[in-house]
Amino acid sequence: MSEIDPSGAAVLEAEDITVQFGGLRALSHATITAHSGVITGLIGPNGAGKTTLFNVITGHQNTVTGAVRLGGRDVTRLGVHRRARKGLSRTFQKLEAFNSLSARDNVLVAAEMYGAGTGPARLADDILERVGLADVADITVGTLPTGTARLVELARALAVRPRVLLLDEASSGLTEEETAAVGDLLIQLVAEDDLAVLLVEHDMSFVMNTCSQIHVLDFGQMIAAGSPEEVQGNETVRAAYLGTGS
Amino acid sequence: MRTSGLRPSLIFAILASLGFLVVVSWQSWAGNTVTLDSLLVATIAGLSVGSLYAISATGLVVVYTTTGTFNFAHGGIGVFSAFLYWELAENKDGIGLPRLFALILVVLVVAPAIGVFLDLILMRRLRTADLVVQLMVTVGLMVFLLTLTGQLWQADQARSVGFFWEGQGFFIGEFKVTWHRYMVIVVAAAIALLLRLLLYRTRIGVAMRAVVDNRELTALNGARPGMLSSFAWALGSSLAALAGILIAPEVQFSPANLNDVMLIAAIAAAALGQLRSLPLTVVGGLLIGLLQQHNAQWLSHGADWPFTRLAIAPIVLFLVVLALPQARLEVGRVATNLRPVERTTNWAEGAFGSVALIVVAIVLANGWLDFGVWDPGPWNQIALNNGIAAMVIALIGLSLVPLTGWAGQINFAPLAFAGFGAFLFLKLAGESGNALWIPVVGLLCAPLGAIVALFAARLSGLYLALLSLAFALLMAKLVYPHPKIFPTHTFADLSVGSYTLDSRYRFFLALIIVFAVMMFALVLLRRSRFGRRWVAMQDSQAAAATIGVNVILTKVIVYATSAALAGMAGVFWAISKNSIDSGRDFELLANFEIVLLMAAAGLAMPAAALFLSFRFVIEALGGRLDEAGSFGPLVWFLDSFLAKFGPGLLAIGMVVNQRGAVFEMGKGFAPLLPWRRDARRELALERERGRVREIGGLGLTEPFTGEALLEIDHELGVVDDITPAEGYRHAVHPEVADV
Repeated sequence: MSEIDPSGAAVLEAEDITVQFGGLRALSHATITAHSGVITGLIGPNGAGKTTLFNVITGHQNTVTGAVRLGGRDVTRLGVHRRARKGLSRTFQKLEAFNSLSARDNVLVAAEMYGAGTGPARLADDILERVGLADVADITVGTLPTGTARLVELARALAVRPRVLLLDEASSGLTEEETAAVGDLLIQLVAEDDLAVLLVEHDMSFVMNTCSQIHVLDFGQMIAAGSPEEVQGNETVRAAYLGTGS
Repeated sequence: MRTSGLRPSLIFAILASLGFLVVVSWQSWAGNTVTLDSLLVATIAGLSVGSLYAISATGLVVVYTTTGTFNFAHGGIGVFSAFLYWELAENKDGIGLPRLFALILVVLVVAPAIGVFLDLILMRRLRTADLVVQLMVTVGLMVFLLTLTGQLWQADQARSVGFFWEGQGFFIGEFKVTWHRYMVIVVAAAIALLLRLLLYRTRIGVAMRAVVDNRELTALNGARPGMLSSFAWALGSSLAALAGILIAPEVQFSPANLNDVMLIAAIAAAALGQLRSLPLTVVGGLLIGLLQQHNAQWLSHGADWPFTRLAIAPIVLFLVVLALPQARLEVGRVATNLRPVERTTNWAEGAFGSVALIVVAIVLANGWLDFGVWDPGPWNQIALNNGIAAMVIALIGLSLVPLTGWAGQINFAPLAFAGFGAFLFLKLAGESGNALWIPVVGLLCAPLGAIVALFAARLSGLYLALLSLAFALLMAKLVYPHPKIFPTHTFADLSVGSYTLDSRYRFFLALIIVFAVMMFALVLLRRSRFGRRWVAMQDSQAAAATIGVNVILTKVIVYATSAALAGMAGVFWAISKNSIDSGRDFELLANFEIVLLMAAAGLAMPAAALFLSFRFVIEALGGRLDEAGSFGPLVWFLDSFLAKFGPGLLAIGMVVNQRGAVFEMGKGFAPLLPWRRDARRELALERERGRVREIGGLGLTEPFTGEALLEIDHELGVVDDITPAEGYRHAVHPEVADV
């Protein structure tokens, strides 16, 4: 289990995270980091604790041990919205778009948290354009197909101008072209805006193509971390995925 | 997750409740001598009434856990059954069945039939409905049943239901305990035992408990959810009927009163059982019964607190909802994607609507419209009064738009907030009727809303609805009846400077203008960042928090806004009535009617508040037709049927039309407007979506076929001797081939 540190200090560190649901230990002393300008992947079999880890990072779930640090500052005790205002943004595994609002309002409501005047409106239109939603901006999100609604969620997450972006299964429900477009967009964003992206993904080719760092979670424990090549060659990872032992 | 053990907040709540009990007892001690006999008798009476609450509450819980529907019509079913029982057994001019036979007939035949009928035609469709729709439909059913009972057994005749054994009993010291009460305790114990056996020892009972955890899984294992839900409704209705009939001799026998007594105690007891534990529910029922009877025996609260007896169940409900951890809120409910989609009106449309409303009202009220064959002429005093009453209710209805329609905070207590506004205006403006105090009243009402919000912030969905119900009742039964709040006092006519709204026409016109302005203000508010944020919070609290919305602060703001609106509306309401009748004006049913009609029209739309004038328009129309003569059956239909049953039926109709009538009208109309290109595209998208059904929001449009699954198995090299769990892993991780 080797920890590779690509460039200086991590903007997000979740260290030694443990979550207990009744008798089930969902996470056991798991540690993960994300760096600015890097797309980090988090993979693992179903039920490994990926979404739970995301929830701990964003504050939807409390941890028993350890700490979450954002830009070096401990945010473990802060509520969800306080962490969000410090530059932490996310999308959800199960679609959580604002269904009653139009696509533009979905993005605008997020942009408005961080600006006044005409700024937010311009930012919202910019982002919609970038994500490829300009065409459906006026449509109520509840009536959009799931894939498009996922893109709205991504656009909303970008509108808060995050330092760290967590994407929970960004490609689920998207077509192959849409998935590829999202991958390109992420690579672009990370390069231009010095964003740190942490994503949970089941589409392996997507992960291998976009992520430069990958962490592997199994039964609540980090079993591997490294570059895509290292992870692919890791025996423990293969075992976890093939279910022949752990 | 459930928090086990005693949490500090729970201990605090228990201590606070005990302290409250001690203080109240100290203050209001009636001075009766405490003897073993009197203690025993009050306890037996309490256990007896409490047993009935327990029976009723048990029915509520069984239906909720099995079907996921919280049935506000539970008391209504009991009321209807009790009156039917009266007809069969007690009516001197009736068929005079023996009591026991009538009891068995109603409890074991009629009530279960009603339950199954309701399940088949209504309740099954509610399973996947939004919570607001679920609540409105069952509340609508309750109103409908009470109206039906009231119409079938008119209030022109005093009725009573006798005790079994004609009130005979045995004596403990100088106090008589009727056999009836004694029997009730025995019956309740027997039912508790039978239910325990049913749920733990029979196949259907085990299935009923299983279905709570996972409907699909239970179905896979061979149970039939449809049959289970019908059975639960039959059982629930049966228990409601039994409780209703046996409690009838103990209370004033009118539909509204019987419903209040049964429903609130049952809800409070069920809440103590966290809507799933039957033993705790029974404890809750007994506790309320004991508190009520001991209160009656030992305490006397004086003339200033006339309805204390009726406040006990609401107090218990209030404390329980606040103190208990809410484990597994939406038991048995399948999550859906079917949130009400709402169309925003643009400001120009809003402005046009507001101006049009004022113009139409002026034209109609002055009778400037002449239909040729029929010239209605200017409105008379009765018509103007009708118009005033309608607009006042519509103004109160507007307060629900931001709170419930946008922010999704269910509120059954609009009149409680309105009453606070009326009270403040009376204190501030007194005899003067100076309208300039109205904005001040609005500002002062906002903190009351904020306080309620702090209580409500932690709650969501059903528990929030129950909290607002308890709040409505506490204000109605405890606070407002106190003579210091609304002394017998008439409200002066409103005035601005030297201009007085002293004629009904002027007052009506002022109301129309105030409503139009408020409506327009709401349209603007909805399009502001606040409106967007509130709607976003309703759609997803979790997501709202992740973009940085402080959910609690946002709730406080929206409650304060709603309370301010309701408070200002309350001033007009009080003035329109001249004086407040604190015993009746704040009744639960009056609150329900506002919320129901608002929901049926479409809570998210300010214009929907006009729909609250429904009853008044129909009555006015009936009156006009009656004057014109020869419209007999139509007048009867309008007055006796539509005006009375309308609210309940409209709410029940939400089973089909879940987003409200005004929404559907707008949806049909908007695409016709040349500038609403968005509405036309959305309609097209919706049609498209109707054809292609997605599976579980996964973006899949059809399930995997058996062949496809076999192919996947083949690709992955899955062989038959692999364990199912591992097989599942492979099936959902086709990417494994890439690693």
